[in-house]
Parts: sequence; C-alpha cells; structure tokens
Amino acid sequence: MKRFKIFYDFEKEEKYLHDMAEEGHILKKYSVFGFYHFEDTKPQNLNYKIDYRIFKSKKDFDNYIALFEDAGWRHVYGTQNSGNQYFLPMSEKAGTDIFSDRISAAARYKTLYKLCMINFVCFLFYLLVTLLSVNGDLSKLTFLTPGLWERTGKAFWSAFFFELPFVLFRVVPPIFFTVVTVLCCYWGTKAKKVYKSSINEVNDYE
Amino acid sequence: MNLEKYLPLTETTYYILLVLLEQGHGYAVMQKVEELSDGRVRIAAGTMYGALDNLMRQKLIESMPSSDPRRKIYQTTEEGRHVLFMESQRLKHMIDIYNRLQGDI
Repeated sequence: MKRFKIFYDFEKEEKYLHDMAEEGHILKKYSVFGFYHFEDTKPQNLNYKIDYRIFKSKKDFDNYIALFEDAGWRHVYGTQNSGNQYFLPMSEKAGTDIFSDRISAAARYKTLYKLCMINFVCFLFYLLVTLLSVNGDLSKLTFLTPGLWERTGKAFWSAFFFELPFVLFRVVPPIFFTVVTVLCCYWGTKAKKVYKSSINEVNDYE
Repeated sequence: MNLEKYLPLTETTYYILLVLLEQGHGYAVMQKVEELSDGRVRIAAGTMYGALDNLMRQKLIESMPSSDPRRKIYQTTEEGRHVLFMESQRLKHMIDIYNRLQGDI
C-alpha cells in the first residue's frame, strides 16, 4: 500500500508511523517527495524514531548504522542520501529514544532546514539562468513556429504536433522546478520554525 | 587557533573527549561514559553520532585506522586535550569558589 504524506515535524511523522503499525501497516520504504510504502501484516506497537542525515561516503553511512545497531536500534529504512533515517528498537538496551537531550533532537531540524535552503538557492539559480536565456521573455519558451496561430485545419495541427514535444521539453522543467523551489522554501521555513521553538523550549527550561 | 570558543563544554562533549583520550569506537564510548558517570549520563545513539560528527568537524577528535571496516575508531586530538584541560580548570575554579564561600558562612 502506498500513501502520500508530507511531514516537516519528525515527531508527528514518528506518531503517524506508529499509528499505521497499530493498524497493521508496516513501513517498507520511503521515497522522496513523501511517498510511504507499507506492507500489511498484523497490528504491532512500534516505537519509530527518525533521524535526518546525509552522508559524504558509504563508509560514513555504514559507521552510522553500526553505531545504532550496537546501541540496540535497527535501521529500518534510509539510504546514504535519503535524509530521513528510520529506526526501531530491537532490544531493551535501546531505551526509548535515539536522542538523550533536546538540543541534539532539535539539530535534525537544523540539518533539514539547511539542506532545503541549499536546494532552494540552487533551483532559484537554475530558474534565473532560464529566465536570462530568453531575455526575460517567457513566450520564447512556448511555440516558436512563425504564424502558427494564423494557420487553420491540417496545416495548423501538423505544425502544432510537430513542435509540441519541443515546447514541452522547454516548458515542463521550469514549471517543475518552480514548484520544487516553492516547496523547498516552504518546507525549510517550517523546519526552521520547529527548530527555533524546540531550542526556545530548552532555554525556557534552563 | 582560538580554543576558548568551545567553552563551556556540554556534559556529553566533556565525557566524550575524556573517554577518547584512549581510542575507541562510538558504542564503546557510550558504554564507558555510562560506567564513568555511575550510570547517570546515558548518551543515546543519535546524540552520540551527532556529537562525534561535530567534534570531528571541530578537529577536537580524529579517526584512526580501524581493523573493523564498519566501525570508525576515534581519538582525542592535541587541540581536544587542550580544550579538555581548559574546561577542567574552569570547573575546578568554580568548585574552589563554591568551597571558599561555603567555608565563610
């Protein structure tokens, strides 16, 4: 079973996965942009914990997973570059959480926020280059056949369908990246907000 | 390099630097910290990895050649030792003040 859902709050995501497991849907895979793949089995009470990290090398990634395994946590899903890393306790020694203080639990929001902002700047740069390449005239990305719209009947349709793939090729990527850019900005801002509020919680407590 | 900026250390960082005066892998550090603190300080896996990652970036610890390809071996660097020393002096000073003032009362 597949579900589409976007979280920027890891604690809510942990709760969601826990609730799904109680209904008998166990997380198998998570793919970018919020697709959760579940496997149906018997209902279970699973204490999912999520970390957010990407790794420079396969070696760093293996070292990370080995540390969690030694400490009693099974790595359920995540790849070197997936960001989200899902864990389940496999023995008593794991305890109840993968974080022992609020600051390190909040640090994952900072990592997420930073990555969102890096992506945001890259995509924005791409869009700017696209805009400059047509001198700010976006109509240049659409149909370029001279006098296309004055034609009628078969002459129109054959020219239209001939150019359509090229138009799609020019138009779809900028639209796609515009959406992604906006999402990155939105996601990053939300993550920053959660980060700030959890840091403030720590300061209030101290 | 200005090492003062790393002070004061968090309890987690203090214990990690202390334990890594002798080289060891991540989980060994977790166990040793628990043992040294009489079970009072228990560092969870995610917090531990984050702390090691930060200390590596600050060059207060370094990774050593390891016979186990899956487990990195870490050790406190010269800078790390110095930071640890400065922190222990800072804490000692605070304890001394406490003892002096308590003695006056």
